[in-house]
Amino acid sequence: MTGSLGTTSAPPIIELREITKRFPGVLANDRISVTVRAGEIHALVGENGAGKTTLMSILYGLYQPDGGQVLWRGRPVGIRSSSAALELGIGMVHQHFMLIPPFTVLENVILGAEPVRAGVVALAQARARVARLAELHGFDLELDARVGRLSVGEQQRVEILKALYRGAQLLILDEPTAVLVPQEIRELFRNLRRLRDQGRTLVFISHKLDEVMEIADRITVLRQGRVIDTVETSSATPSMLAEMMVGRPVLLQVPRPPALPGAGRLDVRGLSVEGERGRPRIHDVSFNVRAGEVYAIAGVQGNGQAELVEAIVGLRRAATGRVLLDGRDVIPLSVAERRAAGLAHIPEDRHRRGLVLAMSTRENLILGHHRRRAFSHGLLRDERAVDRFAAERCREYDVRVPRLGTPALALSGGNQQRLVIAREFAFTPGLLIAAQPTRGLDVGATEFVYRRLLEIKAQGLAVLLVSVDLDEVLALADRIAVLYNGRIAREFRRGEADAATLGLYMTGGGPPTGQAAP
Amino acid sequence: MRSRGRLLLLQAAAPIVAVFAGGVIASAIILAIHENPLSVFGLMATFNMQAGSVASILTSATPLIFAGVATAIGFQVNVFNIGIEGQYYIGAFAASLAAFGLRGFPAPIHLVLIITAAMLGGLLWVWLPAFLRRRRGAHEVITTIMMNYIAFNVVLYLLGLVRDRNLGSTVRIRTPLFPPSAQMPHLAPLLNALGAPIPGYSPLNWFLVIALALAIVVWFWLRRSRFGYEARATALNPLAAEAAGIVVGRVQFVMFLVSGAVAGCVGLSDLLGRAGYFDIDFPKGLGFLGISVALLARNDPLGVIPAALLFGYLNRGAEGIQAFTNVPREVITILEALIIMAIVVAYEIMTRYVRVLRKQEVA
Ligand SMILES: Nc1ncnc2c1ncn2[C@@H]1O[C@H](COP(=O)(O)OP(=O)(O)OP(=O)(O)O)[C@@H](O)[C@H]1O
Ligand SMILES: [Mg+2]
Repeated sequence: MTGSLGTTSAPPIIELREITKRFPGVLANDRISVTVRAGEIHALVGENGAGKTTLMSILYGLYQPDGGQVLWRGRPVGIRSSSAALELGIGMVHQHFMLIPPFTVLENVILGAEPVRAGVVALAQARARVARLAELHGFDLELDARVGRLSVGEQQRVEILKALYRGAQLLILDEPTAVLVPQEIRELFRNLRRLRDQGRTLVFISHKLDEVMEIADRITVLRQGRVIDTVETSSATPSMLAEMMVGRPVLLQVPRPPALPGAGRLDVRGLSVEGERGRPRIHDVSFNVRAGEVYAIAGVQGNGQAELVEAIVGLRRAATGRVLLDGRDVIPLSVAERRAAGLAHIPEDRHRRGLVLAMSTRENLILGHHRRRAFSHGLLRDERAVDRFAAERCREYDVRVPRLGTPALALSGGNQQRLVIAREFAFTPGLLIAAQPTRGLDVGATEFVYRRLLEIKAQGLAVLLVSVDLDEVLALADRIAVLYNGRIAREFRRGEADAATLGLYMTGGGPPTGQAAP
Repeated sequence: MRSRGRLLLLQAAAPIVAVFAGGVIASAIILAIHENPLSVFGLMATFNMQAGSVASILTSATPLIFAGVATAIGFQVNVFNIGIEGQYYIGAFAASLAAFGLRGFPAPIHLVLIITAAMLGGLLWVWLPAFLRRRRGAHEVITTIMMNYIAFNVVLYLLGLVRDRNLGSTVRIRTPLFPPSAQMPHLAPLLNALGAPIPGYSPLNWFLVIALALAIVVWFWLRRSRFGYEARATALNPLAAEAAGIVVGRVQFVMFLVSGAVAGCVGLSDLLGRAGYFDIDFPKGLGFLGISVALLARNDPLGVIPAALLFGYLNRGAEGIQAFTNVPREVITILEALIIMAIVVAYEIMTRYVRVLRKQEVA
């Protein structure tokens, strides 16, 4: 490591020495050495598949390293399981929460570590402890609320609280901001700083370099399983980090060809949709998307985006209203028929809706295309055609996978997302519904997806972009609608609104009567 | 890489360890009744090596392969068809009707007609639970169990209507005898010609070959066909399958029906290869054994074959023990059930353990 030691030379809380981890066909961690100091926020950055999650999973006892040593407060330790990690004081918040939705916040926090008295869970005692912890760290949480009802940001707080309750001194957060909206990110950062100021140590993984610059004290850059360097944040810049990650300068801006919208492609008219238990979530929404145009729906999560998308792709019934695709009402059509009519869909949660994790990469790449003639050989599948298609897709979209037969669950998070994108961009769809399309992608991949998206758009693709990332919305969209409480609060043309204005409308603000948009 | 090899080894060893665990439990019981487990097992092994025993093992495995495949097809896509029992009873009865009712066909055509009737019978009996599940969301475990009860009584009633009235004064209730064209040819002549000393009286017949072919075809169909792909996606992540345009409910409905149609054939080997008529003593319980077989095979159609053979082996071994030792019959029955249970449980534990290890490797 060549990073300067700086002025703060707190003792290391954890030291990784020459950690090596192999998976079939990949060297995920190649003699990685990192030192994390007590009381710092240490960021880990690197391309998709660089080995960040693997390294942290080793630290948390989920994987055993093939070589190297872990020193906890100067003492060599072997971390055989996550309970061993927790015992030492190492906690981890995964990108996919491990909460039980019907349980309350309190029950979730104490689950697995319940104080028991005479065979009965000592709830009162547990409640007092959890309440004290929450207050100490300024966590705004209602202990008796059902977790299933909470927003994503709140659920994340429950996860953090859970780790703290178990006595975590070192807290690992794997891409915690990927699922959050800007307000929630600010709140998370406030909480993280407070935790640091109270002496806890944090390791933070993110692909957003501005976030890293804002929150981290020091930054370690990984590339292809190796440490490139550990630097003080004060001496780093985003472009320098990006270059270290990728090995070449990265353009952080995407050139945009001017929009040349063509004929109307998607026409949503007076659509109302009900959510769980018949609660109305979308009220009388109308908009249209033209060929060669990116139409973005911005908004805080939980304002009806999920229901809107599901109704358009056919996963949820519309209560009233019409959805026209190229002039044809698709409401009576099944998901498969809508797909056959040229609709493609990048779901917001790749694990839930996008992938069959236990299936191979190649079988995942044809999911939804599997009925196409191109892959059929009588009643059987044309395996050679599938292999050819899969290999071509992986090459074009840089899905890094040792073999096409590798199960999707062995891919890094970002590579899983690339797989979904590669699949949905295939066979030139007419309308692409992209929900959080770049969630979990690294800088280079994000830039690539933007370019590709704009290229296909220029050839006549219509894109409905649903994103909580305002930078993404502003970079890509030709028109932007702000969805608030199931209604379109306001529609903007490109250049009409900046992030601040959008943010205002997203939280229910904005002038009561719009300044007459032409 | 090193641990991957160990993983594969563990995986391969799992069934062996499971059988071993079954043996340990059995030994404890045999010891408890003051017999020597080693000599009992030794007896079982030598007894089962005889040609007659081998034929018997294969014969009893035949219906179990059908039942195991039928169960596995449903369980694969989380359809818990507990109604194989009733479906094969109806299937066997429908087959009998076709067997004695249709006359004057050459044997191959008659047999095809009978098998078709059996499948239609199974289909008839599975259709209502499948329909209720698809349309009304009625849980198939409950509906199929109810259908089992109905099946027995319906068959008894119908048997009374079609029973052979030329039996004179005997109280025997059975269908008229089947014509020769409805007999499934036995395998003994062929196997003897090939040099295998299968005794001539063995009812081992071509349904064994059909059962093996069925297991292989189903396995291949799930792996390589479009529908099989949809079925696997449905089983592994229904939400993603749905988003990909797969109608999960329809896939499950079809698999449910196929499971019932296969179940209709479970009794055919006994019916056409041995009895030659259907009576009130027609074997019961093969459907439930099929659940254990599928469980042991982890719902893999190919795995059903060794699992069914294992059941056949134990069954024949029990006959041997009964004939040559003082172990009471009840104890043997208990023993058999316990061994099976021990194997299933031990296998489950082993595979869970392997899965946990693998998750660490691949999650
Ligand atoms: N359980 C596993 N089995 C096999 N290979 C794996 C497994 N986990 C990770 N890998 C491989 O190891 C490499 C590193 O993956 P890892 O998940 O650590 O990347 P990452 O830096 O977290 O990437 P991302 O930013 O995409 O999340 C990848 O090539 C991945 O395919
Ligand atoms: Mg990762």
